[in-house]
Amino acid sequence: MAAAPERMPLHHRMLASVGEPVIHVADTVKGIMRTFALTLHYTLRGRKRWDAIFEQLHEIGNRSVIFIAFTLGFLGMILIYQAGYQAMKITGDLQLLGGLFLQLLLRVFAPTITAMMLATRVGSGMAAQIGSMVVTEQVDALRMCAAQPVDYLVVPRFLASIVMSVVLTIFAVLVSYLAGAMVANTAFGVNFYTFFDMSFVGWFDVNICLTKALVFGATIPVIACQAGLIVTGGSEGVGQATTTAVVNCSLAVVILDFVISGLGYVVLNLL
Amino acid sequence: MASEIKPIWQRVLNNIGDRFMGWSFEVGGVSLLVWEIMRNTFPPKLDGEETWRNMYKVGVKSFPIVVVTALLVGAIMVIQSGMYIEQYGAYGLLGWGAGYSVFREVGPIMIGLMFSGRVGANNTAELGTMKVTDQIDALRALAIDPVRYLVMPRVFTMIVMMFLLVVVGDFVSLLGGAATSQYLLGVDMTLFAWSVITYVSLADFLHGLYKAVAFGFAIAVISCHFGLNTSGGAVGVGRSVNASVVGSAIAIFILDYLITYLDT
Amino acid sequence: MIEVHNVTKLHFGRPVLKDITLSIPEGSNLGLIGPGGAGKSLLLKIICGLVVPDEGTVTIDGQDVFELDEIEIAKLRFRIGMLFQNYALFDFMNVADNIAFPLRQEGKLGEDEIAAKVQEQLDSVDLPTIGHQFPNELSGGMKKRVSFARAVVPEPPIVFYDDPTAGLDPVTSSKIFLLLKAMRDEKGVTSVTISHDIEGIKDICDNFALLDRGELIFWGSRDEVESTDLSLVRQFWDGFSDDELG
Repeated sequence: MAAAPERMPLHHRMLASVGEPVIHVADTVKGIMRTFALTLHYTLRGRKRWDAIFEQLHEIGNRSVIFIAFTLGFLGMILIYQAGYQAMKITGDLQLLGGLFLQLLLRVFAPTITAMMLATRVGSGMAAQIGSMVVTEQVDALRMCAAQPVDYLVVPRFLASIVMSVVLTIFAVLVSYLAGAMVANTAFGVNFYTFFDMSFVGWFDVNICLTKALVFGATIPVIACQAGLIVTGGSEGVGQATTTAVVNCSLAVVILDFVISGLGYVVLNLL
Repeated sequence: MASEIKPIWQRVLNNIGDRFMGWSFEVGGVSLLVWEIMRNTFPPKLDGEETWRNMYKVGVKSFPIVVVTALLVGAIMVIQSGMYIEQYGAYGLLGWGAGYSVFREVGPIMIGLMFSGRVGANNTAELGTMKVTDQIDALRALAIDPVRYLVMPRVFTMIVMMFLLVVVGDFVSLLGGAATSQYLLGVDMTLFAWSVITYVSLADFLHGLYKAVAFGFAIAVISCHFGLNTSGGAVGVGRSVNASVVGSAIAIFILDYLITYLDT
Repeated sequence: MIEVHNVTKLHFGRPVLKDITLSIPEGSNLGLIGPGGAGKSLLLKIICGLVVPDEGTVTIDGQDVFELDEIEIAKLRFRIGMLFQNYALFDFMNVADNIAFPLRQEGKLGEDEIAAKVQEQLDSVDLPTIGHQFPNELSGGMKKRVSFARAVVPEPPIVFYDDPTAGLDPVTSSKIFLLLKAMRDEKGVTSVTISHDIEGIKDICDNFALLDRGELIFWGSRDEVESTDLSLVRQFWDGFSDDELG
């Protein structure tokens, strides 16, 4: 793409190899921010198309339930297995297992892994769908009918994703917790009554869980749709966009998770 | 599809049946591909040049995001452990809490998911595009076995690269953790390092590496399967990539559970 | 009146359209011809403001397309119908909803009137019973006709046809050209038609422009086309190549 890189002197090439990714990242972030601003603009101003929102609620929510149940269920089993094994080895005391597990689930694992799964399933799906619409000129046709693509395509996904991310995260907590309880009971003989110990969980944990779910739910559709809207070329472009969507969404989840966890830690210390 | 109206129970059964058939098809396809790969492994038939090119591409492509992910994952785990450590004043356990969880579970899972998103999805997109533009059929017409020429190098590459990336990721995440403990929690880095060295064992590290190899293999096979079974133009490629990352995520969690179960 | 002034579009620093100047008076029908990849579709998209050029202006009835705000451009686009090369039917809607879409966006008519107009359009493209079907159940020729119906349903005074007969059999092609002709004769539309079917558009268009590798090689009336000596125009018009292959 760049003109004959081997003709450039060495220090130019070194600068270019640093600068190119930086510019690329900056462009991507700028594009995402613009789409996000437009999405907010149309969310507040445009008319709500409830049928489209319900369709997306179904698409994002109902069709992810089995996937989320499966993956988060396994996650609960894995975590309890590891934690229980360690606790047996060190203290032999499994009284706190359930309570601490629920707290950890709320603080990190449920919102983060649910969001990663949404990025995987929903993010890639959105990018693939919108990308295909771009290459088949459907997005141009929308614009010719005076329907703004962001208003028409992104806003319903944005609203539906926020709602469903919260709902699915709560669902994920339940599934993981129950799956963990099963393993704790069968592998370590912890009885359910001891395991379902809510004494550790406070408002702080619930709030941080829901905040994360909300933020991730708002981020994923914007990034995924942005990846879809900038597709050029045929099937190659669509594949590329889908990949970009998964990676960017997942990275955004990890970065935001770090930011919110850090803020949460600061808040917890102030309390 | 059929427009005549059926009773609701019949539609529900139809739906379940369709799903089940769909899943069976994918599982069967993946199994067949694994069998083909096994046949090509003993004796090993590997196109050296193609493998080398793939390794370079995969490594260059996924290295930055794995480093970023690992740094942040280390930091997040330190923050989470920090919340408990603070409560009990057991600062010496901070490194253990973060190191143990990252090495055994969180590291491989997060790096695996990232790898699946970056490399697996890209692989499906690439093979899918080749499929819908009839390039795979062109290879067959030239009597070149697509499994041997396209799949084998990718499987080999992804296993090796996943292994290396988890090794790198583990150490980078410790760096991220150390920095966080110093600057956010105010726990001295040396104490963090001491805690990691004292309490985290080689077994924890190896446990993560077994997972890395298993995930690499699973991601490779699943992404190749969905790529090679793409149909329906650009729309089909998008759908394949979606299915591939979903399948990989499911495989990662199942394999993780199995390895955790067997190796503790 | 559509005026294109000195339009240049770059793609990775390489011009894909070089300094194009054209005007299409009201009621005239321009045929845009040229080899694949010459930038014909791109030019059409620039004219309706879907793609912003790097240099130059486009004015439609005195309004500069790239200076308009969101509401003005929406109003302008209701006056332009576009038949896309790849049909561009919304695959998440059935045929009737696809055709009704521009009317609903315009928001002037009630649902009953919209339904009546949709049926009228379906009748006129000779597909009266497919309203409930989805685009992926249709053949290429049917999709083209539905796409045509959607483009012309708001009765726009300006219509763009991007390769209306690509990949269709001769019988279906001639049906499409009959529809275009009816638009011209009955509605008196201003139109631009991109086509590789020279014989077909000879009947439809009164002006012709030839693009090659982003440059406007020729632009003139039918008589001028027939009398020109430019070899590329002759090859296209008469449908042969006198160059050696290679």
